[in-house]
Amino acid sequence: MKRRTWILSALGATGALVVGWGVMPPRSRLGKPDTMLPTQGDVALNGWIKIGQDGSVVLAMARSEMGQGVHTALAQLVAEELDVPLARVRLEQAGADAIYGNVAMLLGSLPFHPLESEGGAKPTTVAVGEWVVSKFARELGLIVTGGSSSVADGWEPLRMAAATARASLVGAAAAQWKVPAAEVTVTAGRVQHASGPSGHYGELAQAAAGSTPANVAPKNRKDWKLIGTAAPRSDLLAKVNGSAGFGLDVRLPEMVFAAVRMSPMLGGSVGALDSKAALALPGVQQVVALGAAHGSSAGFAVVGQTTWHARQGAQAVVAQWQQRPKGALDTQAIAAELQNQLDRESGFTFFTKGDIDATEKSASKTLEASYTAPYLAHATMEPMNCTAQVKDGAVEIWVPTQVPSSALAAAAKAAGVSPDKVTVHVTLLGGGFGRRLDVDFIAQAVTVAMASSGKPVQLSWSREEDMGHDFYRPMHAARLKAAVDAQGQVQSLRIKSAGDAISPRWMERAVPLLAGPVDMPDKTTAEGLFDLPYGFAHQHMAHVATSMGVPVGFWRSVGHSHNAFFSESFIDELAAATQKDPLEFRRSLLQAAPRYLAVLNLAASKAQWGSALPAGRARGIALHESFGSIVAEVAEVSLEGGVPRVHRVVCAIDCGTVVNPGIVAQQLEGAVVMGITAALWGKIDIADGVVQQSNFTNYPMLQLAQAPVVETHIIASERTPGGVGEPGLPPIAPAVSNALFALSGKRHRSLPLVA
Amino acid sequence: MNLTINGQAVQTDTPADMPLLWVLRDQLHLTGTKFGCGVAACGACTVHVDGQAVRSCVTPASLVVGKSVRTIESLGSAEQPHALQLAWIAEQVPQCGYCQSGMLMAAAALLARKPQPSDADIDAAMTNICRCGTYQRVRAAIHRAAGTTQTALQSSARQEVSA
Repeated sequence: MKRRTWILSALGATGALVVGWGVMPPRSRLGKPDTMLPTQGDVALNGWIKIGQDGSVVLAMARSEMGQGVHTALAQLVAEELDVPLARVRLEQAGADAIYGNVAMLLGSLPFHPLESEGGAKPTTVAVGEWVVSKFARELGLIVTGGSSSVADGWEPLRMAAATARASLVGAAAAQWKVPAAEVTVTAGRVQHASGPSGHYGELAQAAAGSTPANVAPKNRKDWKLIGTAAPRSDLLAKVNGSAGFGLDVRLPEMVFAAVRMSPMLGGSVGALDSKAALALPGVQQVVALGAAHGSSAGFAVVGQTTWHARQGAQAVVAQWQQRPKGALDTQAIAAELQNQLDRESGFTFFTKGDIDATEKSASKTLEASYTAPYLAHATMEPMNCTAQVKDGAVEIWVPTQVPSSALAAAAKAAGVSPDKVTVHVTLLGGGFGRRLDVDFIAQAVTVAMASSGKPVQLSWSREEDMGHDFYRPMHAARLKAAVDAQGQVQSLRIKSAGDAISPRWMERAVPLLAGPVDMPDKTTAEGLFDLPYGFAHQHMAHVATSMGVPVGFWRSVGHSHNAFFSESFIDELAAATQKDPLEFRRSLLQAAPRYLAVLNLAASKAQWGSALPAGRARGIALHESFGSIVAEVAEVSLEGGVPRVHRVVCAIDCGTVVNPGIVAQQLEGAVVMGITAALWGKIDIADGVVQQSNFTNYPMLQLAQAPVVETHIIASERTPGGVGEPGLPPIAPAVSNALFALSGKRHRSLPLVA
Repeated sequence: MNLTINGQAVQTDTPADMPLLWVLRDQLHLTGTKFGCGVAACGACTVHVDGQAVRSCVTPASLVVGKSVRTIESLGSAEQPHALQLAWIAEQVPQCGYCQSGMLMAAAALLARKPQPSDADIDAAMTNICRCGTYQRVRAAIHRAAGTTQTALQSSARQEVSA
């Protein structure tokens, strides 16, 4: 089946629904005032904005703060439109209404080639696909933070909500002062008219409530004061004095603590369980069985006075574990099976252009390479945890989650109550990186709370459980082939990859409503391979969807994280094979992709590509688009005792309109460090069903002494915002690997680079 | 058990082998000190014991009886933040923030011992793991608080919007 046919038929699957529902305008995301939590003294003006008596602004925050700075960036949008200082915006967790659902993230899952949307007008297939999915996403209202989508998603609705609120408030002032609204100004939260009267929003909110101003539009960008500035993050004071509230920091009266042990064999179950020794320990209260749910392995929890008591108890339980019925997982066997399937299967075609078969037949030579990438754990600094209380038929959870909608549903299901009996408090997240898009630990916490006589229970995982029971970045493999003509020009690029798809499996675990067949085409398998900017005349990209049994999940930048290594390393191979400079080779293929070319050129010039380096050091370059943003990175690398050392990374990014360049730089710095850790050492091995890595001692992380200096250069742009949290990651592995090739002549085709 | 935490004498019902981390977090509700690994590999649990940076997840509580324990909660105060806390904000160091208490406590112990640390001193002292990759800003903030400068290699423009 061809890509377009598939997209259209997938959209058609919502068939009858689309016909009647499709003619209605998309659901508004402005919301009604009663969508917001009623709070004493505050006046709600729509579903996003309340005004405090002191003139402060309360913003309904529907996105989780996991380090990416979204609590600051989204507040910036609102402060800009309301003309208040950023510090005057307070955040309140958004409720469960569909207006808070993430539309941009679902749009990002459509497998359209990004070059199709580079020009002014989008092709009909893209426009129709996006329109239908956007409309569907608005109905679905899935509250989720992921896919580097928060700013892109909030860009229109948040600015509109704030601009509408401002218009109501200004209208109220005009009516009160009997002056034309156009003459009322707002500066730093102060509303005034030249004839004298002035006040703040708190004094106008009651009068403004209920008004529905027409013809509201967000500010013209030339009038921006806050958007585009490196405004200091609003969450840092609490993060330097220990008061920031992460999931594990929740403390409630009478709270008890639960430790978890799950079958060390992934997908395994519990056989016999002897709790006698555990229950005999001081401070240990009970042992609760945990079934396999939302993708977890089965196990048990031990409840105790403190986390330590609970963990001592958990270690004292003598458990007989049983292997999963389908047999023990083994990464070596999986690696071999991926190659078998690449030999055997043709896969699903995500992209095709020109006549690749004829080109390869008539080529004067062809180049082929085979690449692989391993499973990876997320290893968020804060291990998985959830605090839950089940009392009088109501469930309350406090949880660091990226997906409150699914958390609520999972809690309701575990407790056997209807969703309206569940309250979700989203805490700060000690890292997310995609791991907290899953809800396995939430069901566990509620299950234990059910057995705890109304007491709140804080369930937490040890580092070992966290590393051994992740939803791993899937192992993938790819074969790449290029045809070179008699003039030494590369004429074609063929890519076939294989590996498990994430999205359908995640939907099954976390959003069952959307679940389909697990081998359905999933953009995350092919992203970074089907969507390249290079102008090869003939291209073909297909993916073989496998089903290996290892639980797989979204890992920062998802498919791009390994596919960029495959594609950008192979591009480097083609440059070398045709005796071209890696930068010049890329430039020659980007004539129809001017934004990519500009990003590449910016990184190269800031890194002084081609200039001399100290002996023993070399540069590598890589370019990659993901999540709506284009990033190029130049890495300077040496070998120290045979181990790669990355000294400096120059990043250039085109992420469309920039809301906060300081946060953009933070995210690129962080993505580079995380990407280097993964590139150098990152791998999860599974033998006999058991994950072999267990802690930072055998799943090492880059440390300060090994960290490069990272520079960020941002392309000025007026396009709508793209993503920032993830796009810095994909280019670093190939940039480092390409530098190693320049340094030593050795081409790495398998991650991690340090075996 | 009689302990001295942040200058206060406290009495807890603590087994001798219980790590200090859990006394702080679960018994005293001083949650600024974090659990990260449980094996002294990440430094999220770093506190000061008699001024030395110590990883509290592997330090039995009985070992700190009679000693002065200080946690992130007493590094500075709202009125008088520690120079490192101000530098941390000036350099916009934290992202998720989870490891930052430990980072700050490790850095404070370093500055107490070596008020003018070199890059090499910082490399040696700051072995805490940060998954968000805040390392270069941690280095910059320590230099800022100490009034020292980074070597040319380490210092560079951090962000810039090109026309």
